[in-house]
Amino acid sequence: MEATIFDIKEFGLHDGPGLRLTVFFKGCPLHCVWCHNPEGIAFGQELVRNEDACRHCGLCQRPCNHADCAQFGACVHICPDRLVKVEGELYTPERIAERVLSYREFFGERGGVTFSGGEPLMHADFIEQAIPLLDGIRFGVETCAHVPAQVFDRIMPRFHDRFVDLKHMDADIHRRLTGQDNALILRNISALKASGLPFTVRIPLIPGLTDTAENLAATADFLADAKERVQVELLPYNPMTGAKYRMIGRAYNPPFDEKQKPNADALPFLAKGIPSRVY
Amino acid sequence: MYNQVLYDFYIARKHHAYRRPFPAELTASVRDKSLNPTERMMTRLRLVLANEQPTILDDQRIVFLRTVTDVPDIFTEEEWAEIKSKHFVHELGYVSNLCGDYGKVLASGLEPIREKLEARLAGEATEAQRLFAESALSGIAALYDLADRYRAEAERIGRADVAAVLARVPRQGATTFREALQFLRMLNYTVWAEGNYHNTLGRFDQYMMPFLQAELDAATITVEEAESLLEEFFLSVNWDSDMYPGVQLGDNGQSIMLGGVTRDGEDAYNELTRMCLQASCRLLLIDPKINLRVGKDTSMERYIEGTHLTKAGLGFPQYSNDDIVIPALVKLGYKIEDARNYSVAACWEFILAGCGMEIPNIAALSFPKAVEEAVEETLLTATDFNTVMAAVKQHITKGVDEICSSIHDIFMIPAPFYSILMDGCVEEAKDISTGARYNNFGIHGTGVATAADSLAAIKMHVFDEKTVSGAELLEALHNDFAGKEELLYKLRNETPKMGDNDDRADQMAVAILNQMAEAAEGRRNERGGVFRVGTGSAMFYIDHAKMLTASADGRRKDESFGTNFSPSLYVRSKGPFSVIQSFTKCPTDRAINGGPLTMEFHSTVFDTEEGVEGVATLVKAYIDKGGHQLQLNSINRDRLLDAQAHPENYGSLIVRIWGWSAYFVELEKKFQDHLIARQEFMTC
Repeated sequence: MEATIFDIKEFGLHDGPGLRLTVFFKGCPLHCVWCHNPEGIAFGQELVRNEDACRHCGLCQRPCNHADCAQFGACVHICPDRLVKVEGELYTPERIAERVLSYREFFGERGGVTFSGGEPLMHADFIEQAIPLLDGIRFGVETCAHVPAQVFDRIMPRFHDRFVDLKHMDADIHRRLTGQDNALILRNISALKASGLPFTVRIPLIPGLTDTAENLAATADFLADAKERVQVELLPYNPMTGAKYRMIGRAYNPPFDEKQKPNADALPFLAKGIPSRVY
Repeated sequence: MYNQVLYDFYIARKHHAYRRPFPAELTASVRDKSLNPTERMMTRLRLVLANEQPTILDDQRIVFLRTVTDVPDIFTEEEWAEIKSKHFVHELGYVSNLCGDYGKVLASGLEPIREKLEARLAGEATEAQRLFAESALSGIAALYDLADRYRAEAERIGRADVAAVLARVPRQGATTFREALQFLRMLNYTVWAEGNYHNTLGRFDQYMMPFLQAELDAATITVEEAESLLEEFFLSVNWDSDMYPGVQLGDNGQSIMLGGVTRDGEDAYNELTRMCLQASCRLLLIDPKINLRVGKDTSMERYIEGTHLTKAGLGFPQYSNDDIVIPALVKLGYKIEDARNYSVAACWEFILAGCGMEIPNIAALSFPKAVEEAVEETLLTATDFNTVMAAVKQHITKGVDEICSSIHDIFMIPAPFYSILMDGCVEEAKDISTGARYNNFGIHGTGVATAADSLAAIKMHVFDEKTVSGAELLEALHNDFAGKEELLYKLRNETPKMGDNDDRADQMAVAILNQMAEAAEGRRNERGGVFRVGTGSAMFYIDHAKMLTASADGRRKDESFGTNFSPSLYVRSKGPFSVIQSFTKCPTDRAINGGPLTMEFHSTVFDTEEGVEGVATLVKAYIDKGGHQLQLNSINRDRLLDAQAHPENYGSLIVRIWGWSAYFVELEKKFQDHLIARQEFMTC
């Protein structure tokens, strides 16, 4: 079994306690208009090219003998500035586990590995194969929760640390912003609330879209009955997102004002007794 | 900031207004042909101090400001050329990279020393001893005179507090924290005025704590008052530092070593250790450069304290690992009590205060050059990698041999005043420049990663996978990879690198470091000391790189090495875990001349307490895994680029170069660019 992984970041600090290794799976069922990991949306390997910095030397357009270049229509083993490259590498669960285990001494009792993406639970089978190989190392997940209910219910109890995104409480707006409505997400989070497991809800604060007083209040209402087990993290929009699109040669046209400071208001949650913080 | 007015005065460099040149008409008397070098040194020190104009700034408590600039050399150019033709002269020829036994002198005052020297002159003495004693006495008298004139000036302007301190020090030992700091300032000032350089300040928290503790116990000082005085002392070592010699402004060696263990092996961390870390955080000045000794028993809290200083962006503290350094020094012949008392030279070299006359940066071996020479000799004909590796080892040994045998007939300019701070010099009436208990010489090992990566590339591509012939690779290196873009890409991006926790590269580093250590083992220098090898690069990360063609790791001609003990400059490693894993495989206990692993973290990493804790955890991991020395930077490439474009907005931006910190905008561009090229780690 293999999965496409587009990055393995050492020294994650925001994906769980302690020192973290964060594994980014490729492919996501949502297409958020503010996505700051655009290379994680498509499944499978893809060619990325930083047009901004390209000096147009033409080397990548020269015919080459590399077996893997044909599918991308460019030579991906030549760019002197590393601007042309393949995003995504195939891993087996064994290979991922081996890398995680090699960092054991950095993790201590609190740190560990967090599966992120893209959407890691699109690769639930892969993760379930990797888990038994982790040999006591803590592992967590960061999911958008738009995954089949039976998969979500089956796998979530297995993680030590659970981060679930919740973008918007309104189904129509959710569809407009992410390409999908939020029915499945709300269903899954409801199930998680009912499970009695502790988890963290992350809300990206997109200026004028998700950071509205109504949305934050509605989200707080939705989570209030699990206030003993849930905590909320408000993540202000990352204004560096556009640079990342340029680096991989994609257009980025956010339908909101990037310069506007998001409404980073934790009060609606605190008022309901839900521990929350702004990043 | 406790004394904002004085601080602002310094930041605006207003004290430069008091400066004036050394009187030109006195130059001839310094170089009087009838005087020997010792006498010239003493004449000059006497004249420099006599021409100093006591200057006490508003609210200043730790006084002594250098006002005389452009001090003349003691030799004419012709004399110096002749000396150099007959002797090995290290750098400028002066005593450098030493540390006095400040604690002893601060406690005793200079009077007992003066009396011992007088007694020597009254009794039996050789001519050399007589010369030394007379010169040292002359230096003490010159300092007494300046201190007395400062005292008179203090009385004149109604600063009874300053006058009272100067009524005691430097003649008598300090009885208060303030007197001790003032005394230390005078001694350090005079050591610089004598002409010595890279004058380090040693284990400040150890030798200074007794004075503070006595006052805290007697409740004659509060912690806040002590912090305020400490800040002012730290500020005081910055007043004149732009006048001190170095490769660049900032390279002045005013380092201090904090923490660690006592001579008996007990935990030495004290209240003053904490105060020093915090004072440096508040002051944001390039001096003193903070080093922190840690070990397997160091708690997370202390690493977090240290990381808060890293966050401040000065490139401090530099950590050293007692568990590695102390046993390694013992193995080199240091007594255990001395080894436990180790301090640091200007950059990273481990030295002993008081009892060492070491030259820890006497030479540097370029590992990539050894690889280049071996490649030139063997790559066309070798049928296996072992042939290449054997040649590399030969060249390393040859390089060490050449260095060791080239160092003889050392000429070092005497330092009679500095000598009175050194163990035994007063008792035996001998100049420190002639040697001390420890007389070891240190050799840097530069470009470890470039060399290791090159060897890994040759083994993989030429011998294991055979995708490129030795001839083809050699030609590509000679032509700086012109027309070989595919090969270059493969070498740079698809070949094992140090920093990726890949044994194929890391074990090459292990092999070459071991080879250098073995080559130096058992060799003695002319002073009876040993040769210590290390992992520092100093400016050679640029200078040595310039002497080479392209290298097999894909480094193009003129591209620099990584700084000190770090991944190659262009390498984008997997991350800090892997870097630590790679570099802790190396036998750093055999490279104990020092030279830190250096890692850059984006400044935003430190924005949250989790980030600070995370970095602290990485430091602990490096130390626990047996790394010898570590230096971290909080850096922001965009800010550095903007500072290059708009230097006027970044006058106070401080960065760490190879073993010292400096104001970014005052650096030569090549050093700025090297910083910008380094990999910055971020969090995700």
